[in-house]
Amino acid sequence: MADTETALKDAMTSIEGAIGVALVDYTSGMALGTLGGGKDLDLTVAAAGNTDVVRAKARTMEMLGLKDEIEDILITLGGQYHLIRLLRGRGTSGLFLYLALDRGRANLAMARHQLKAIENGLEV
Amino acid sequence: MSAPPAHSPMLARLAEQRATGVLLRDTGALYLDGGAVVHAESPAAPGIEVLLTAGGRLTPRQWREAVDAAGADCATGRWLVEHRRIAAGELEISRLGALHDAAYFVLAPAAGPTRFRHGVRHWFGSLGAVAVPAVEGEALRRRRLLETLWPHPALDTAPVTPLRAGAASAGPAHLPRGQAAVLALADGARTPSAIAALLGRPAFHALVHVRRLAALGLVETPRHTPGQEQPARAPAWLQSIGDTPDAALLRRLLVALERL
Repeated sequence: MADTETALKDAMTSIEGAIGVALVDYTSGMALGTLGGGKDLDLTVAAAGNTDVVRAKARTMEMLGLKDEIEDILITLGGQYHLIRLLRGRGTSGLFLYLALDRGRANLAMARHQLKAIENGLEV
Repeated sequence: MSAPPAHSPMLARLAEQRATGVLLRDTGALYLDGGAVVHAESPAAPGIEVLLTAGGRLTPRQWREAVDAAGADCATGRWLVEHRRIAAGELEISRLGALHDAAYFVLAPAAGPTRFRHGVRHWFGSLGAVAVPAVEGEALRRRRLLETLWPHPALDTAPVTPLRAGAASAGPAHLPRGQAAVLALADGARTPSAIAALLGRPAFHALVHVRRLAALGLVETPRHTPGQEQPARAPAWLQSIGDTPDAALLRRLLVALERL
């Protein structure tokens, strides 16, 4: 079982093209941990703002009557990918991992796969 | 409405002096170790033992076992991890959540006089400290978030009263799970803090859900009365503790017993 800091470090070093990563509490919008980012990407602001993205999608699914769970959400920008992965473990429900990637350097399929592995590491 | 800044000169000075001890206000207590915040508690926020046991993560018996074994050494958290009752990351997440949850109430602008007792340590143990500006910044961010959701601070402390008319028109069918859970426990008598304790969730989550429910017209918004937005007050005996770590332990036990 990794602690939060180790899990975030793992994401930054193992995922090609990672710009920043945050572990976020979905209801309060609080970033429990952030790594990377910098002046071009304030991860605390991104964390709080993206809770609205997750909430909107969850609400739409409720309205459609879809009995399913969101695994991840991908947002494609001109130069970046933003990946939101909802955690569902016993002790991590209500949290999501937020990952910003450089679109030119990232391998999206690999990044999704690696983010899943990091989630598993947080929960075991 | 602009919320006053959460910045407290006394807290800033204690951080600068790298002080160790407990900061006591009417709304709760903030524990410092070497000038950084290691623990916070407030009567308005469920303690970490409630978050861990009400959520089903630990049984009350496992919790008592850990406090009995390591509470006197101020190392309950470390004991739980070392004896594999809970994983380190999970405990860290719960602990951080509980810290910011209680700190939000302790740092409330109208929390009254502030006192500091040097040398007091918390029985849970110092697992990881959060810098004072980070704690204050998060409390301020939370205050602003509630303000943008539905600017009626009286909702934070008033009993939550469901509105049937609102439920009939909007229909609760599409409510997110968190809001639905809060609404199901709203009976016109329980406050958001009481509902949070029953759910085993942080009090701030209940505040967010109640503001959203009120904005949807599903929960009654109390009429604004200036001066009534006082956060929950701690009983008088809270003010007289903090001289020894044992007093802090006894107080937590009392709170836990009252919740049984």
